Order: sequence, then structure tokens, then C-alpha cells
Amino acid sequence: MRHLSKLVKLWAFLGIGITLGTVAFIFLFIFYEGASVISPSFILESPSGAILGTEGGIFPAIIGSLFFTGTAVAMSAPAAVAAAAYITFFCKNDRMKVVLHSVINTISGIPSIVLGLFAYSFLVKSLGLGRCILSSGTALAVMILPFIEIRAEKAFGELSEEMIRSSDALGCSRTYMFLKIALPSCKRELISAVILGGCYAMGATPPLIFTGAVAYASVPESIFEPAMALPMHLYLLVAQGATSMDTAYGTAFVMLALILILTIIARALGGFRK
Amino acid sequence: MRYLQDRIFSFLICAFTALSFVSLLFVIYFIVREAMPLFSEVSPGEFIFGDRWMPIGYTGEPSFGIFNFIAATAAVSFLAIIIALFISIGAASFLCLCTGEGTREGIYSVIDLLAGIPSVVYGFIGIVVLLRIFFRVGVHTGSCVLAASILLSIMLLPVLISSCCESMLRARDEYLLPIKALGVSEWYGLATVIIPASWKNILLAVIPAVGRAMGETMAVMMVIGNANLFPSLLGKSETIPAVIALEMGTAVSGSTHYHALYGAGLVLMVMLFVINTAISILRRRLSRI
Repeated sequence: MRHLSKLVKLWAFLGIGITLGTVAFIFLFIFYEGASVISPSFILESPSGAILGTEGGIFPAIIGSLFFTGTAVAMSAPAAVAAAAYITFFCKNDRMKVVLHSVINTISGIPSIVLGLFAYSFLVKSLGLGRCILSSGTALAVMILPFIEIRAEKAFGELSEEMIRSSDALGCSRTYMFLKIALPSCKRELISAVILGGCYAMGATPPLIFTGAVAYASVPESIFEPAMALPMHLYLLVAQGATSMDTAYGTAFVMLALILILTIIARALGGFRK
Repeated sequence: MRYLQDRIFSFLICAFTALSFVSLLFVIYFIVREAMPLFSEVSPGEFIFGDRWMPIGYTGEPSFGIFNFIAATAAVSFLAIIIALFISIGAASFLCLCTGEGTREGIYSVIDLLAGIPSVVYGFIGIVVLLRIFFRVGVHTGSCVLAASILLSIMLLPVLISSCCESMLRARDEYLLPIKALGVSEWYGLATVIIPASWKNILLAVIPAVGRAMGETMAVMMVIGNANLFPSLLGKSETIPAVIALEMGTAVSGSTHYHALYGAGLVLMVMLFVINTAISILRRRLSRI
């Protein structure tokens, strides 16, 4: 009996130790190794060098990533918030709710690489858009749709039932209630959900590989041209091997820093986990 | 006037909600459409159970069999979930017995940082840290199924820890007082009562993680070695998402190779769909008892 409790105690400390140790290791490792590469010119210049990326910076990739993320969020956020609003406030049919939930669950279960295949077949080939930000952005939008929807639905669900009933009792329409009560009081949570969705999209590579991210491009001017993206750039630098390892650490640094800052903003807005 | 506005707004909400349906239908339609031509050339049985993947016939006939890829996808996910469960149950036990509400929330938000790290960064760290260790130990080039599983298990931790902890906390609230009243140590009670009592819920919580694990592309692709071999613990192998990501760029649009990659994507989707449906039926059964 004493042995068993010691064993379990050891297991518990081991588990939490490994987990927190890994978190600390990943961030410290990348920030430590990447810090020496980061400089204003690394962030503000284009990649160069005999083997692309060994010299120069990653500016087009940063802007490209913002374009990809922006497109995805702009397409996905309205649909996700509308679906959440529909399920919580407008839908009166329980069976419909079940169907919608299972649709959203199914979407969240589609692997991101399959979404890349979909965007290639639908946008790149059938619609003839070619490899461009819009094609990738659509794949990313489908990917983050359930992600935002689940968080938005949770935010709407936490509104007090009493408030909704009262507005019904006063004869307000659900539209009026949604615009005047639900949206304003969930504004922070919704923005936080959208930012977190953006982080998720920014880090994803598989939907971009063959639909719009390229090894080298200048800063994009519209969403109908291909662009560089941070995760894709990091992958290519790593795949090239030892010559471009320094810039790979730098790229990983920038990506983690961007995502960390955005996550902290989102957390501060949405309140720490309830 | 107001009435008209309401109608228009409700209509807009419905239209945007319909986008979710439409996008799911489109994804399914386009994947199936591009995969279908494959089956006029290769029979489904041959495609799924064949182990020769020769998209271009340099020597002899081209052949398309993805059995090794399917096995590798399943093996990597299974191993990753076993490793992640081991760590998660430990971490959840700690969170259950050693922390108050405030500390627990703090630790949760630290662990959640893992979920935000992009999978390429995991792959990168896997290459520069994990593969070097495996190489020193004597694995040829370091790439292996085990390395991919370890990396993947770290990515699964945030989801698994929070769901393990949730079900264990529920069991703790129910049984901790009786355990203490019997004069038994908390840890013994945890091992003999709380973990067994929450076992069923923990297993059900694992399922969303299966989808995440099987669909993961970058991190796995960067450390698994990408060779068409039947998976073994320290050997190279290749998963379905990795094949698609690596070969899509070189497949001629409209060729059998191209359709075969869509076929592989379809197989992956069907596998996930079957698992998810089976589990949701199981979950309904279990929650009814």
C-alpha cells in the first residue's frame, strides 16, 4: 500500500514535470537560439543568398502570413459567429441543432492536409484562380471555422438565461436582443476567439503547401497572387539542411513571438480560462 | 420597418450558418470527385491492401497500394496516444491532489501554450533535438516512428490533460471525503478509487485526440523518415498526410498519381469518420447506462 502510493506520487510528479519542462524547454530553446539571429534587418529584409534564405531576412514571409491569416479570418469569422448565434438564439428546432453540431464536429475532424487537397481541386483548378492567397485562405477559413464557432457558442451560452427570457418578455425580437444584448456583452470573448483562430491559421502549413505558399515571392499586393508564409518558409529552411539553420531559428523565433503575443492579448481580452 | 429589419437579419444569420453546411459538402464533393477516377484503374482492395507504391513506372508497372501508409498512420497515432495518456494521467493526478483552483488555472494556461505552437515548429525541434538523440543512440539517421510518436504525444498533451483532469476532478469530489474518512492516504485513494472511477470518461475523451493525431502532417513528416515501409518502432515509415504533402507538388494534374493522392486523402477522411461515428454511438450508449 505504501509502495503503491509512492509509485502514484512519483507518476504524478513525473507527469507534471515532463509537461511543464517541455513547455519551458521549447520556448527557452527557440528564444535562446533565435535571439542571436534577430535584428532589424532580419525582420525588414527579403531573403537572399546563393541558397535562398541563408542570408537576408523574412519580411515578405511575415507580411504574407498576415495576408493568409487575414483572408482566412475575414471569411471564417462571420460564418462561425453566425452559426453560433443561430444555434444559441435563433434555432427553435432541436433536431436542427443536433445536425448543425455534427456538421461542425465533422468539419473540425477533417485533417488540414485534406483541406489543402480540397482548395487545390476547387479554387486552384476548377475556378482557375491558380496558386494564390485566396485559395489558401479558403482552406484555412474552413479549418478555423469550427475552432471559432465552438468558442463563440460557449461565450453566447454563458449569457444568463434570465436576461434572454426578460428580453423575450418585453416583446423584443431575437434580432434586437442579439444586437443590443448578446453581441455587446460577448464582444471581448468573440474578439478573443477570432484572434486565437487567427493564431491557429497563422501556424498551419498543410493547407498552404500546394495552394498558395511559395518558396520566394515579393511582398503581396493583392489576394490573387501567391505569397511567402512563415511556416512554409521555416519548413523549406529546415529541409535545405545545415546551411540555413540560423535563419530557421530566427524564423521560428518570430513565429513563436507573434503567436505568444497574440495569445496573451486574446487571453487578456477573453478573461483567463473559466 | 423594424419587422422587415428583423426578417432580413434573421435571414442573413441563416445564410451565414448555411455556409458551414456548404463548405462541408464542397470538401466532400471535391475530394470524392478527384478520387473517383482512380478506382476505374486500381481496385479499392488493391489500393487499400497493396503495399507497393510506385506512382511512376521506372521499373515495371506503376502500382498504387497504400497499406503501409495506413498502418504507419495508425501506428504513430496509437503510440502517441499511449505516451500522451501516460503523461496526462500523471499530470492530471498532480493537478487533482496538489493544487488549488487558482494554481490549477495558472498551470492550465501554461500548458495551453503548447496548443498554440505551430506544428512546423514542433517538427523543427524534433529534427534538431529528438533526431540527434536518436542518432547518438544508434538509430540510422535518427528518423523513426518512435520519434514521430513522441513529438505527436507532446502536441496532444493540452487536450488530454484538461479532459483527464476534468473527469478525475469529478471523481475526486465524489470520493475524496470517504477516502480520507477511512484513514487511507490520498495517493493510495487516487490509485485505487479515483483513477479507476474516471477510466471510462478518460477513454472517451481520447477520441478527439485520435483525429488530431491521424491528420497531423508537418511534425510527423519531418521526423518519420518518409520511406514506404511497414512501421516498426525504430524504423522509418511514412503516413498518409506525409505522402500527400510530399508528392502533391510533383504529381501531374489529372494523372493516376494525382487521383491516387486524393484517394489517400479520402481513405484518411473515411477512417476518421468511422472512428468518430463509432465513438459517438458508444458515448451515447455509455452515458445512458
